[in-house]
Amino acid sequence: MAMKSYNPYEIAQAQFDRIADLLKLDQAARDLLRVPTREYHFTIPVHMDDGSVQVFQGFRVQHNDARGPGKGGIRFHPLETIDTVRALAMWMTWKCAVVDVPLGGSKGGVVCDPHNLSARETEQLCRGWVRQISRDVGPHLDVPAPDIMTNPQNMLWMLDEYEAIHGGKYPGFITGKPLSVGGSQGRKEATGYGVVFTIREALKELNREPRNTTASIQGFGNVAQHAIQLYERIGGTVVCVSSWNQADQTAYSFRKASGIRYEELLAATDAFGGIDVAKARDLGYEILPGDAWLEQDVEILIPAALENQITQENAARIHPRAIVLAEGANGPTSPEADTILSERNIFILPDFLANAGGVTCSYFEQVQSNMNYYWDKDEVLGKLDTKMTAAFHAVSDLARNQKLPMRDAAYVISVSRVAQACRDRGWV
Amino acid sequence: MNENQQSVDKLLLELKERAKELNCIYRVEELFSVADITLEEIIRGIVRVIPAGWQYPDVCEARITYAGAIYQTPGFSTAPWELSVNLIVQEEVVGQITVCYTEERPPADVGPFLKEEHKLINTIADRLERRILHETLRTVFESQSQSSRVETDWQVILDLLRRTDPKLLTRISRKMLHLLSWAGVEDADRMLERCGPPSWNDLGGAGEEVNRPSRVNVTQDLQAASQEIFELASRHLGEKEILSKIRAWIKEDRSGFLVKILENPAASLAEIIGAIERFHHLGPEDIELSAPRELTFRVSLIRRILSDDPQFVQMAKRFLDVNNFFELLHRIIYPAGSHGRLGGKSSGLALAWHILQKLGVDVPLLGQFKMPKTWYLTSDGILRFIDYNDLEEIVEHKYESVAQVRQEYPYIVHIFKNSALPPEIMNGLSVALDDVGETPLIVRSSSLLEDRMGTSFAGKYKSLFIANQGPKQQRLSALKDAITEVYASTFGPDPIEYRAERGLVDFHEEMGIMIQEVVGTRIGRYYLPALAGVAFSQNEFRWSRRIRREDGLLRMVPGLGTRAVDRMADDYPILIAPGQPALRVNITLDEKIHYSPKKIDLINLEKNRFETVEIKHLLSEFGDEYPMLNQLVSILRDDRLEQPTGLGIERESDHLVVTFEGLITRTPFIDQVRTALKVLQKEFGRPVDLEFAHDGRDLYLLQCRAQSYGEATQPAVLPREIPQERILFSARRYVSNGVVSGITHIVYVDPQKYAELTHRSDLLAVGRAVGKLNQILPKRQFILMGPGRWGSRGDIRLGVSVSYSDINNSAMLIEIARRQREYVPELSFGTHFFQDLVEASIRYLPLYPDDANILFNEQFLLTTNNTLNSLLPEFAHLSDTIRVIDVPYATGGLVVQILMDAEIDEAVAILTDPSLDLSDPRPERIGTERYSHQNDDHWRWRQQSVEQLAQSLDPDRFGVKALYLIGSTKNATAGPESDIDLLVHVCGSAEQRISLMSWLDGWSICLSHQNYVRTGTKTNGLLDVHIITDEDIQKRRSFAAKIGATTDPARFIPLGKHTSH
Repeated sequence: MAMKSYNPYEIAQAQFDRIADLLKLDQAARDLLRVPTREYHFTIPVHMDDGSVQVFQGFRVQHNDARGPGKGGIRFHPLETIDTVRALAMWMTWKCAVVDVPLGGSKGGVVCDPHNLSARETEQLCRGWVRQISRDVGPHLDVPAPDIMTNPQNMLWMLDEYEAIHGGKYPGFITGKPLSVGGSQGRKEATGYGVVFTIREALKELNREPRNTTASIQGFGNVAQHAIQLYERIGGTVVCVSSWNQADQTAYSFRKASGIRYEELLAATDAFGGIDVAKARDLGYEILPGDAWLEQDVEILIPAALENQITQENAARIHPRAIVLAEGANGPTSPEADTILSERNIFILPDFLANAGGVTCSYFEQVQSNMNYYWDKDEVLGKLDTKMTAAFHAVSDLARNQKLPMRDAAYVISVSRVAQACRDRGWV
Repeated sequence: MNENQQSVDKLLLELKERAKELNCIYRVEELFSVADITLEEIIRGIVRVIPAGWQYPDVCEARITYAGAIYQTPGFSTAPWELSVNLIVQEEVVGQITVCYTEERPPADVGPFLKEEHKLINTIADRLERRILHETLRTVFESQSQSSRVETDWQVILDLLRRTDPKLLTRISRKMLHLLSWAGVEDADRMLERCGPPSWNDLGGAGEEVNRPSRVNVTQDLQAASQEIFELASRHLGEKEILSKIRAWIKEDRSGFLVKILENPAASLAEIIGAIERFHHLGPEDIELSAPRELTFRVSLIRRILSDDPQFVQMAKRFLDVNNFFELLHRIIYPAGSHGRLGGKSSGLALAWHILQKLGVDVPLLGQFKMPKTWYLTSDGILRFIDYNDLEEIVEHKYESVAQVRQEYPYIVHIFKNSALPPEIMNGLSVALDDVGETPLIVRSSSLLEDRMGTSFAGKYKSLFIANQGPKQQRLSALKDAITEVYASTFGPDPIEYRAERGLVDFHEEMGIMIQEVVGTRIGRYYLPALAGVAFSQNEFRWSRRIRREDGLLRMVPGLGTRAVDRMADDYPILIAPGQPALRVNITLDEKIHYSPKKIDLINLEKNRFETVEIKHLLSEFGDEYPMLNQLVSILRDDRLEQPTGLGIERESDHLVVTFEGLITRTPFIDQVRTALKVLQKEFGRPVDLEFAHDGRDLYLLQCRAQSYGEATQPAVLPREIPQERILFSARRYVSNGVVSGITHIVYVDPQKYAELTHRSDLLAVGRAVGKLNQILPKRQFILMGPGRWGSRGDIRLGVSVSYSDINNSAMLIEIARRQREYVPELSFGTHFFQDLVEASIRYLPLYPDDANILFNEQFLLTTNNTLNSLLPEFAHLSDTIRVIDVPYATGGLVVQILMDAEIDEAVAILTDPSLDLSDPRPERIGTERYSHQNDDHWRWRQQSVEQLAQSLDPDRFGVKALYLIGSTKNATAGPESDIDLLVHVCGSAEQRISLMSWLDGWSICLSHQNYVRTGTKTNGLLDVHIITDEDIQKRRSFAAKIGATTDPARFIPLGKHTSH
């Protein structure tokens, strides 16, 4: 077909090609890593509530498992395409490698819209997915997790089906389980804390004391809230957060020059991180436009809400004082803005690295499940700190030594680790 | 003065006596209506109750002799002061009633007795005689049915009747004669001719003597002929048959009085109620109704008390019987001489409830519905109220202009609230309050117009909650206040305007009132139901293609149902399709939390008022007391919503989310509502909506009526003969009801071009551009058309990545499913922000342009001038993908209108003249011409006002060079809320500008007030003034770019005489 369109798989391959060039990878390694190792396409018949049978299409793509069992979510999406799944599987390989956890990259999905399914039908779909792929996934092969439109309940159904088929208890088959059924402590905190661990290390490199820094944060959801908590604990002051206001259908920034107080803002917040404007005003906060968080007079900016927030159009409004941008959200900075920030010498903590706390904790859940021994929260978060700190320094050292942007350095280190594992195994 | 006092005393004394006598009759009547009571027991009872009915009960004694037995009060002795009457049955003295005083008392009409007492004893005797006769007959019948000797028994009865009740004999004889004649007995025909009423032949068919009055037949003839008739009958009918006929007719005759009252249009409600009570007190042994007579009763009662709408009567007669009315009548409050009815809401509820009760015998789920205790104030109460307070001139008020109505309305409310209710109504209310105690009440309107099928006065008249706490006097006064306020709402601008638009202004509107106990329980200082809501038998908001219209829709909330009935801007009800409760609107955790109710309406018993509070606060304070809380909430734990288990809820630490999950999945609730919707739709013969509330134990039906459509969701009439070039697109799948009118702009995201975008940043930019357009384009006057799923996240090739705030000003969201090479994209049905769309009335439509018989005017969408570049130059690089079409500009003044009819599953978008763009979708349904209240009033008035403003503006004084209009006024699309966008080109000094602004401010406030008077819309100033300078124009900055622009240019408004132009 002549028509060209946005294809995430091609983009992921192009990205890989660029890094492979930087690494001067040999052709065999490129040929191996450019495409998934294995792909499973299968059908899942489901008996619907009305008595009819509907056949759904399922996938599992295992991009690379040289470093360990595959890891990656299962997506329920009405317009899922194999190329999307391939791209995301590849991305998982790099993501696990950057934090140096011994896992490979996978992704799976089902073409369906859960909005059109009853709970019973969804359960049948989950169990059907496992039935079709149960020989090729498992705690030592490939470990699924929740993703778009799948949830802990779905994971439990899948686990239950897997255990029924294999006749045993295998809690390490899947992650994202509820705490009561083999989940891990610290999952809520993991991503937000991970962001701050990398910020802390970055400040060390920049020879700055956290207590002499201030931060402005976009978002007041789970990631942002835990980032604020830890950042305050290491001595920093958050002076501005922005949050979406449902009633007014717009975002506001809430500023307090003397530093926001996390607890009091939390008390004025709904389940989605929406802060009550009137209450905040009573608490002495200035209410500013939603994008005002970006132009605050602070050292640290943490976009922790949405994609594509810092763009060519607004990058210039970032205050000269800013020195660190930590990407708590996925893809908050557009490529053009990325260039502008680099020129301004702002230290970028790429999403890939900064928000890797989530996948690291997922790995911890798997480890604990396999041992059937569960750590307390401090132990989980302590181990998270170690992993994130090590990951940061590896990337940052490489960036410094090779004079690479942080984002590129993160990719380079992942790809090289994976390529190395393949070589070590004698594959290429 | 003294004399006066004396006469008053005398009057009082007399009244007391009458009361005693009446009471005596009642007590006697009560005896007769006891089932299975023997004659002896009745007589003993009468002897007991008599003394209390006489003037001097302490010395009064009574005795009845009958069939050789003597029944008397213990102190009875023969005395000189006695009153006697014989009991005569079949012309034989069978006994006697005697009343005596044992001591002397002052003389009165008859000895010491009053003439009323004389009458009283006769009445009692009469009643007793009938009973004795009845008993005698019964014995005869019984012995007949036991033995075979029946030959002459009917003769005995006839003899008996001849002597006791000749009129009854006449009626029975006539019936027998007709029966024989009908059976083809020729002799009977001849007899009919001789003494019967004129037959049809006499009246017209035969052609002779037509102009002469037909012969008058004296009843006497028939009476004399009765012997002959029955002899004839005995030759043609069996003895048994004759006897059973006579028996049935005698019984049927007993209910004759009720027929008379019901068929008499002059009979008042009081008379009807009296007759029903009498009928009810006839013992079951006295009545035997033939099916047609029973039906006559039903129909008459329905017409007189509920509604005379033929469709309603048709339905109701199958479910409401005379006894149902007896129950109802006890709770009707009515003015003296009332001819009122209960009104639409009350009738609908009564009917629906009885349907559920009757069908509930076989379907227990239906029988489990309860109805809150309800009192009714008849529809003519308001007329009596007006009359009582001399407020007649208010009625003329409806013929005033809406502006006048609006201005005078607060005054009417004031007058009404300060007027008294007539005493008989106040008394009725007092009784009602004694009945309900301190339960909170809702006072609802129930007008006669409301029960006209097809008119929906939903929300037009008031419903008021009252806490009903405190001393009775205070409660009564609050109730009175509420009623007068509901009365006043009859004259409110909204209903008057609504009626005017539908040609109903001449209808003689009367307003009934429903006083209903609020279903609920006390929780701390609050009173509220566990949950409440509305249910529709047809679903107009389907969120999945698997949901069918007939699956219905439930909107429910915790607490009072007000939050489910109304659309809310900042909160959401739980939506469920009762036909498919497993298909939920919200699937992901985020959706479930986001779209869960956060606030609750309730009654604060301490503050005596209706309140809205945060559910979070209510539960943390009183969660333990909340009925069936475990079924209503889920606990957010570990990114998962869990159902509360047996251990219950830790209300301090648990994060509770209202989901109704337990109620939906673990109780028969949904089943119950679905079944009710189904049977009510079937019996009403049309879609219905009902209001319900649940107090934690039972489900209550609060209201039921033919499904009302909001203004926006009435099915539209699709015009059939539209020139093809006027059609923008058509649709034949998943269409809902409604009309979207006055669309001036289309934002079209070309599916082909969108699919060809190769960079993710470009795909994201499309979403951002749409968000910006959402801010610039006129609110609710543009539609968004785009590929696949609006609001896609993650894989945004599937649809434009927008959040609700990026589309919240649009009038309609259209998803286009164009066949791609491999597949037809599955559409989202707006699920990414479905409930936001519902609450904001933003419509949704899916298009399948590749289907057969579908029109899709791609030519228009692709070739019409694209204004994106001038609106958002920063997104010019996307102008291939995003096309913004200024419809009036491109078509010479046309706008787009989208008509949707779910019943035939079809929709069409047409280009139409704005003045023909009727937003009233189906005028012929109501059968009236549309009131000449045109849509284009708003902009025209605005433009004229601006022209006036321009005339009186002194350009030299203020330094004004020119005036322009932009925006909705200029585009002829202004609505009642629109402001007037005024572009003022200035050249003067800063001082001049300040005085100009304050001069314009004055105009703005003044116009805003005028607009309020015209439309009832309150705005904070109407002018939106944009100041521009020469420099702005030169650099084509901001609004200055509109002057002489190619698209949507500003309109020049000539200034007054000093103008420099």
